[in-house]
Amino acid sequence: MRLPRGDLVRSRTATAPGDALAWALDADHTGYLVLEPADAVLGDGDDACVLTIADGVPRLAYHTGTERGGAPALADVAGAGPYSVDCYAVDRSALADVTDTDELTVSPGAPAERLAADSALAERTRVAAPDEWTAEPASPADPVEAFLADEERLDAIRDRAREEARRKAREWDLTDALVDGDEN
Amino acid sequence: MVEAVAVASGKGGTGKTTATLALGMALAERYDVTVVDADTGMANLLFHAGLADAPVTLHDLLLDDADVAVDDAVYHRFGMDVVPCGTSLDAFREADPTRLRDVVAELARDTDVLLLDSPAALGSVSAVLPVVLADRVVVVLQPTVPALSDGLKVQEYARSYGTDGAGVLFNKVHDGDSVERIADRTERYFDGPVLASVPDADAAREARDAGEPLLAYAPASAAAEAFREAAAGIEIRDEPAEDVAARFRSAVVPEQP
Ligand SMILES: Nc1ncnc2c1ncn2[C@@H]1O[C@H](COP(=O)(O)OP(=O)(O)O)[C@@H](O)[C@H]1O
Ligand SMILES: [Mg+2]
Repeated sequence: MRLPRGDLVRSRTATAPGDALAWALDADHTGYLVLEPADAVLGDGDDACVLTIADGVPRLAYHTGTERGGAPALADVAGAGPYSVDCYAVDRSALADVTDTDELTVSPGAPAERLAADSALAERTRVAAPDEWTAEPASPADPVEAFLADEERLDAIRDRAREEARRKAREWDLTDALVDGDEN
Repeated sequence: MVEAVAVASGKGGTGKTTATLALGMALAERYDVTVVDADTGMANLLFHAGLADAPVTLHDLLLDDADVAVDDAVYHRFGMDVVPCGTSLDAFREADPTRLRDVVAELARDTDVLLLDSPAALGSVSAVLPVVLADRVVVVLQPTVPALSDGLKVQEYARSYGTDGAGVLFNKVHDGDSVERIADRTERYFDGPVLASVPDADAAREARDAGEPLLAYAPASAAAEAFREAAAGIEIRDEPAEDVAARFRSAVVPEQP
């Protein structure tokens, strides 16, 4: 996601970004929010979720570390607080140039719901959102469906399990029983 | 012919034992079936099969100085041969899990289908052994994210050990669960078909309390019907019993220290 440079208008550290999202909504803020887990700020840094906001309502999400967009980008920082939350203001026209692809869009209430567990704020945000944003079939509502649709997450689970199976096989002296036990 | 199928899930309480006995009873209409409680650390098949007082169990066969024959731990119940496992922790500690290989090899000589009720966890040799030894695995899933996630892990362990997938079984399915909508995607990630979707049913709990397999306790229930449908979806392969027995006997399993 390529974003126009914005002006930093608000910067806080918080356990959850609820305040920043509420502030953006109440201020009809247009721009973007950079949400970085505090431990990542101390580390090498490339671990932030960028969330664009138009007239107070979240629209696109992108994670700079995992390079995932949409709901998965939120998932990549969910529960990782405290965060440093920086709000940048951008010209509405400049933001309009950023293309909304399905991979990047989040449903308007999703950030409040997933990152701040604030369903009242999520509802308020949905009400403020343009109709076509809430009408869109966003990611599946059913958590099991959403889970099975998240190919990257499933692949990651499988990769981890495969790696663990091999490591354990070595520990238990079962490598000869592995399909490709000779490789190790 | 004989085929060994592990019934696994990666999570406790999904219904592995219920499923093992249900699939066993359904398959017993067409084949000679032997079910083994290979969940040696948390055995509970004996309670589901009315064998709580069985004098000899798999535990006795896994002792280094076992002085009982495999046959002594085989009980003919509900049209199948049932090998229960005891629940004593001491016996579990003394048992040599790797002897399971020899027990399974011996049982394989004289049956068509061996169903191994497998442990929930994957954290030890005794826990993975059923999946390592089996030809195929049936993964029992509840339609929840944690259960699917753990099921994927079992599936991947099975693949790593060259154990094929016979399919997955959704169990404890509630009205409104999205099993139909997720079946396609489930099949993309698991080996084999979605065999059936078994409803959450009081009959299953009552059967367990009565010490009977579901298919004996409530054969006409929707849950029993779904288990029969699942069993019909498992094509038992034709392998000469001696070959399988020999394969188990030569399976690479480390000696325990
Ligand atoms: N379809 C079902 N509906 C309701 N209860 C079930 C169902 N399947 C299993 N149960 C109950 O859930 C509990 C755990 O089942 P069990 O087969 O022992 O699981 P596991 O062997 O995976 O730990 C038991 O009390 C059992 O009666
Ligand atoms: Mg069990």
